Amino acid sequence: MTSITEAMPANAARASRERFWYPYLLIAPTMITLTLVSLVPFIYTVYLSFHAAKFGRVTDFIGFDNYLHLLSDTRFWNSIGVALVFVGIAVPIEFMLGLVGALVLNQHVKGRSILIPLLFMPTMMAPIVVGLLWKIMLAGSWGLISYNVLERFHLIGQTSAFASPGLALYALVFVDIWQWTPFMMLAFFAGLQALPLGPYRAAAVDGANGVQVFFHITLPMLAPLLVVIGLLRLIDAFKVFDTVYILTGGGPGISTETPSILANKMTFEFWNIGEASALAVLVWIAFFVFCNIFYQVAKKRLNAF
Amino acid sequence: MAETPDSAENPRAMLWTSIAIAYAAVVLFPIFWMASMMVKPNDAMFARPTVWLFAPTLEHFKYVLAQGFHWSLLTSFGLCLVSTAFVVIIGTPAAYAFARFEMKLKDDLFLFILATRMAPPVCLVIPFYLIFARLGLLDTFIGLTLAYMTFNLSFYVWVLRSFCRDLPVELEEAATLEGWSRVQIFRRIVFPLLRSGIVATAVLCFIFAWNEFLFAFMLGGKAVQTLPVSIPKLITSQGVRWGEMAVVGMTALLPVLAVVFVLQRHIVRGLTLGAVKG
Repeated sequence: MTSITEAMPANAARASRERFWYPYLLIAPTMITLTLVSLVPFIYTVYLSFHAAKFGRVTDFIGFDNYLHLLSDTRFWNSIGVALVFVGIAVPIEFMLGLVGALVLNQHVKGRSILIPLLFMPTMMAPIVVGLLWKIMLAGSWGLISYNVLERFHLIGQTSAFASPGLALYALVFVDIWQWTPFMMLAFFAGLQALPLGPYRAAAVDGANGVQVFFHITLPMLAPLLVVIGLLRLIDAFKVFDTVYILTGGGPGISTETPSILANKMTFEFWNIGEASALAVLVWIAFFVFCNIFYQVAKKRLNAF
Repeated sequence: MAETPDSAENPRAMLWTSIAIAYAAVVLFPIFWMASMMVKPNDAMFARPTVWLFAPTLEHFKYVLAQGFHWSLLTSFGLCLVSTAFVVIIGTPAAYAFARFEMKLKDDLFLFILATRMAPPVCLVIPFYLIFARLGLLDTFIGLTLAYMTFNLSFYVWVLRSFCRDLPVELEEAATLEGWSRVQIFRRIVFPLLRSGIVATAVLCFIFAWNEFLFAFMLGGKAVQTLPVSIPKLITSQGVRWGEMAVVGMTALLPVLAVVFVLQRHIVRGLTLGAVKG
């Protein structure tokens, strides 16, 4: 990457002085704001996580007690398990369906300029509205799908899928797939559209068939994008809150209690802020490690990123 | 636009088009169903078997208006406009700097920006709540505007950076040789070229703020109540007001609908943090 200042010949002394402070001046407002709204709250959370803090009152310094208590709490490990099952099922399915959908869209489909914005609807909707939508579709006894599909084919009785302990998590997975498959599909489709034509022409000359073209040309060229989008979706899926909050609130029991839901309950229901902070710090560290991986992968594998 | 290698014409095009349309119809049907519930009388709503045809009613709209929900609509609009305006003012120079200049620690600074975008909002809401409670910022417009910066400012800088990278550097170099000042270059060259990127990214920020629930619910909720927050409040002790929820939900959907039709090319790029050239 070349910068303007590097390309500028004359007035070297002034230029190098300018080169030093000018970019920092431009990023300063953003950095200051993000420090205030992100770093400061984070440091405060770390501070709280080492203190006994209940009902809004911060009392003694207790070292790692909050962490130890959390790590020996089955409810904490349950939430990690729930999130792993959720992400582990939803994201791969979204990925595969998205890829297949993108390949279909990339064929001679007419009216794409209308189809594409329509397909974006689920992804762009407020998660809380998505939750509401599926609360309606899967409402106990009268919901369109509950009554006409689940009940008619004797899959479950007159109850909402979200109220059944064995099913609720999978119902949430289903909602996530509904919302995010279009996103994967359109991201992959945009990637397909941006591929160079040269290799395809060469393959056509060599008489390669569709399957060969896919595995030897399309897939390798698309791979970096697939990895980055997959990682991005993985990170976002792990954060899921709104839809779970409105659909099950973590229930029945703790069968759909993700770390986000648990942290929220610890704070605003049990008012155990110390332990909630410890949980937040652990999640934060996990995310930071993941972001680092994401950034390195994105930088190395996609120059454009 | 790249075409696919096999170019067998009409019959295949028909097949693929109908597959795509069928898929879209299945995916979008629930949205249509919710829309129909806006005007569906309560007795038809809960009927078994499902009632498909009914005489439309406006009772849900009346209730929603009587509850003062239009204030939530106004609050949402104001909050999203103000917070997005701040993001654009603060973030545009930063995105440009990250795309154009070498800086010490640039990678680390940028990773910090990414980390603030990726951090789960639930982790932030705890400290925000306590700090805001002390500063008297709970349930205030300023408090929520600040909170919205956490996800939108970092997102904006990240995505706009990829638009900045697409600008031809030669124009700016030529202007530098002409002796234009930095400010002149930015105002007369960079900004006009970047305008469509700024609008597209800013509108996405607006939508994210529009869709936001957790901060608005935990840090606001009474004096400053946004549209998404008003939805769960329709779960009352007398029962759930489904029709009213559908009205509010569809209202929340309208600006999003408008935006995706206008900005479809930029949306992929935005949602993928610039990884895909939309």
